[in-house]
Amino acid sequence: MSALPIKNENGYFEIRMEAIGGMGANLAGKMLAEAAVIHMDLNGTTFSSYGSEKTGTPLKAFVRLGPGDEEIAIGGPVVNPHILVIFHTILRDILPVTSGLIKDGIVIVNSTMTPAEAKEFFDLPGGHIYVLDCDKIVIEEKVKINTVMMGAITKVSNFIEPDAVRKAITKGLGKFGDKIVQANIKAFERAMNEMQYEHFDWPEGMDEIPIAKVTQKIGYMNAPLGGAILNPGNTIDRDVSGSRAGWIPVWHEDKCTHCGICETACPDLCFTFEKGVDKNGKEGMMNRGIDYQYCKGCLKCVSVCPVDALTKEKEADFDVDKIRRAKTF
Amino acid sequence: MNLFPGKVKNMALTKTKGKCEQTVYLESGNEMAALALKHVNPHIMGYYPITPSTQVAETLDAFKAAGEHDVQMIPGDGEHGAAGICYGATVGAARVANTTSANGLLYSLEQLPVQSGTRYPMVLNLVNRSVSGPLSIKCDHSDLMFTLNTGWLILIAEGPQEVYDFNIIAFKLGELEDVRLPVIVSFDGFFTSHQKRRVYYFSNVDDVRSWIGDVKTPIHALDPEHPATIGPYMNEPDLINNKKQMSMAFDNAYHRVPEVFKEFAEMSGRKYDFLKTYPEDFSDVEAAVWVMGSPSETMIFAAKKAREEGKKVGVVIPKVLRPWPVNEIRETFKNIKSLVVTDRQDSFNFMGGNMTTEIKSAIFENENRPLVQSRVYGIGGKDLSLDECKEIVELALSSTQKKTVDVPYDYIGAEPGDLEYKIEPAVEPLKEEDLKPGIIKVEQKEDGTLDVKGVNLRKLTEMPNRIMPGHGACPGCGIFSTLNQFLKGIEGHVVVLFATGCAMVVSTGYPQSAHRSTYIHNLFQNGAATLSGVVEAYHEKMRRGELDPNLDLTFVMVAGDGSNDIGQGPTIGAAIRNHNMIVLEYDNEGYMNTGNQLSFAVPKGFSSSTSHVGPAQVGKQFGHKDNAQIFSACNIPYVFTATEANPIDLIKKAAKAQWYAKNDGFVFGKLLSTCTLNWRVPFNEAKELMQKAVDCNFFPLYEVEHGITTINYDPEARKKKISVKDWVGSMGRSRHLVKPENEAILNELTNEVDRRWHCLKAKAENPLL
Repeated sequence: MSALPIKNENGYFEIRMEAIGGMGANLAGKMLAEAAVIHMDLNGTTFSSYGSEKTGTPLKAFVRLGPGDEEIAIGGPVVNPHILVIFHTILRDILPVTSGLIKDGIVIVNSTMTPAEAKEFFDLPGGHIYVLDCDKIVIEEKVKINTVMMGAITKVSNFIEPDAVRKAITKGLGKFGDKIVQANIKAFERAMNEMQYEHFDWPEGMDEIPIAKVTQKIGYMNAPLGGAILNPGNTIDRDVSGSRAGWIPVWHEDKCTHCGICETACPDLCFTFEKGVDKNGKEGMMNRGIDYQYCKGCLKCVSVCPVDALTKEKEADFDVDKIRRAKTF
Repeated sequence: MNLFPGKVKNMALTKTKGKCEQTVYLESGNEMAALALKHVNPHIMGYYPITPSTQVAETLDAFKAAGEHDVQMIPGDGEHGAAGICYGATVGAARVANTTSANGLLYSLEQLPVQSGTRYPMVLNLVNRSVSGPLSIKCDHSDLMFTLNTGWLILIAEGPQEVYDFNIIAFKLGELEDVRLPVIVSFDGFFTSHQKRRVYYFSNVDDVRSWIGDVKTPIHALDPEHPATIGPYMNEPDLINNKKQMSMAFDNAYHRVPEVFKEFAEMSGRKYDFLKTYPEDFSDVEAAVWVMGSPSETMIFAAKKAREEGKKVGVVIPKVLRPWPVNEIRETFKNIKSLVVTDRQDSFNFMGGNMTTEIKSAIFENENRPLVQSRVYGIGGKDLSLDECKEIVELALSSTQKKTVDVPYDYIGAEPGDLEYKIEPAVEPLKEEDLKPGIIKVEQKEDGTLDVKGVNLRKLTEMPNRIMPGHGACPGCGIFSTLNQFLKGIEGHVVVLFATGCAMVVSTGYPQSAHRSTYIHNLFQNGAATLSGVVEAYHEKMRRGELDPNLDLTFVMVAGDGSNDIGQGPTIGAAIRNHNMIVLEYDNEGYMNTGNQLSFAVPKGFSSSTSHVGPAQVGKQFGHKDNAQIFSACNIPYVFTATEANPIDLIKKAAKAQWYAKNDGFVFGKLLSTCTLNWRVPFNEAKELMQKAVDCNFFPLYEVEHGITTINYDPEARKKKISVKDWVGSMGRSRHLVKPENEAILNELTNEVDRRWHCLKAKAENPLL
């Protein structure tokens, strides 16, 4: 029977994954817990925070491990993780992802940054910071990010047995065929070997990262009756770019005939058309470009463009803030 | 009677105590419900998908495709229909299961007393979820509490292990000759339904099946030699006797529960009783907390910490809610000084939810009654944290020395909000003049049909968007591009009603809404009826002079193919009443909001999460519904089909739809719409896939104006015709049909598509058809 290296005051070792719907964090939690419970004789639970929202919405996946001869008595979300896993840097701007990390805890970030840069980016006080360019492995091995992160978690935990996780991956992904299983195992192995690591001293006197208290601005004393929303259209404040999977459409003004077909294909209403004058001095509606705040990278616009004025490009090759055409309403 | 056998103990250590061999597993509540049903192997499961219970049917269907059980799984047209299927099957002497949640339960509620009152046992997994509205998919007990007076037995499972165990126990208990009552196995949505935990299941299904035995139905419909009239018309003086019989059956069940639990414990090593208490020996407890379902273990944890400090506190957790264990409750609370009852719903202004009122009534005859405080918690899935559990434990302890309590009833976790915060407009309301750019012209021709001119995609980019960006749909979602196209053809202000579905959920997550114009939601089945009420309010208020005579509104309902299954009746009703409104069906061929369960629009043989492909089953077992023709048969002014791959055609039809809705009455439009996630296609292929569906004649583009059918695009005439196989082979959900072993299914689908196309052509050629 395996033993847990460290436990919190309630007796558990806890992992929290901060991810986006579609990345497979829920399945990663399942396979990790299965590795621990079925193959390592530990006890464990796993679940996610998500409800009905779709591919592209932030979600949290939790794994709570305990000794094999005890029941897990806590059913709620992981508030003070030992290992915090951040699947996408954009999450920093959407949610307080680092909330509650234990003193000198472990953070794994999917990024091309250095650990020191990641520390600064996430405003981490210190701790064991691991950075991994998961997207590279994802593209090269043709896998989802979840098994990559499982490799990272397995390695940094220092007690989860790689072989137990391999078994869980083999079972969990078995229905997709051996080729996919092997690709995922390879991605899992690569993750264990390709991380950058640095330790930063945790500040004296500081306990955990304070738990972010989200206070509801609208409550029972001031909510419009019946749950009505009186400032509709306010989704314009959201940044949904975290839904992108490495690709963006890029608009080429010189080729554009302003035909409007891209605008009819875009599910996310990213294009701006304005009254203007074309090269020949003719008045008409003119395409002004893409607002990447709302672009989920589906590339439908690229597919329908009749004149190649929209092309599929790697997001990493562009500074999207520079080529963005911010929408006005 | 031993009141406290249910000591909190270690499951891992009990696995060898039962006489039957068991296997360790890591699974969620829904999956364990499905596993139990696989092991019991009832004849029929009638069901209708609803979050968070859907996974039960999905998992059971996956087992079915793999050939692991014989349960006939029948998707209802809604929960009411599903309950009817179940009732019919029990009357047909079958063993039957169902699963539902929240509004699904309420939609089928009238069937519950029918099931119990005519005495046909079955098992319903009720995965607890908040009852709408506003719509929430998360856990609370507002659904469960509606079932207390339905005449069903109710078992409350705390975690996935109990979900499995109680499903097996429920069949045994309900079918006992002197009970014969249906049973609900209730467990918390998401917290239990989706949380994976270590569990044990019987390694040999025969252990389960031989314990439950064959189903025995003394009065049933399949025995012509012993004909029976099942469900007569009954008033006084007889109905009261039927209810007295049920009351007697409940008494019998009360005595039988411990016997069944005992037998089960011998098999499994897991002992249950009406109430679980912590500590097992309750004799020193002065302050108690009543809690039910998933937070129970956390509450015990909090109480344990307090007891370690010498505090005399305990926790009581019901496992059986019906029959109501009144004697056990009286006995347990006889020496308690202070009691906090937690309720995951509210009986507004009743000083607590149903648990509070029932417990107060149960202990009324005790000599020493504790002070009772009620706390409403966890509404809409709000987690009850360990800290909150500790506060509740302290609350119970703080009142042991008091004569009265300060706050007998309150909410935990409700927030007042920031009173300084002002809700500022996010965007200016749309202006009518901007919404009427006059780009499109609609004129009625001499034959009564309409002519539309001026549809120019470039010019129409001037039309302001009624839907704002930032909504939460998946990348490449077909719904919002299709709707954006449609609304380009509608001039002036619109009032939209979205029935429950993807489009609704992703565009209105509180406190955000992507709708710049007025938007209404009503439940799945009732959108068209609701909008017809809005339309008639508009007309009547206009007639009475209560509205500005210049107020010009167009009414549009938007609903998926799911909504058009469960809401078929109300939508046909609205069509036949011919209200001035437009109903749009975005048909993405599946219940995508709940995770791709089959809809009636899904073609035969296609896979979905309730029509898996495996050695024992190839996808959906029946053919696809043709909703455009159903509405054509309602003889409404205008019916059309369209896809986003043909935007000019679609926008023309939108302009016609507005004209007909304003002048003649009801319009129905069916819009095939890509779901990249569940069709398993790349995000960017909507246009290509839509065009293929049209070019193979699966989804012909046509319109029916006052009974006159016009085909707008004939793939054969344009030499664009492709085979159904070409379309089917281009999607992950249907690619299996291209394999040689599935040729017969593909041929059947192709023949049906061809037959419907030829019918349509005949209609287009003959105005009388």
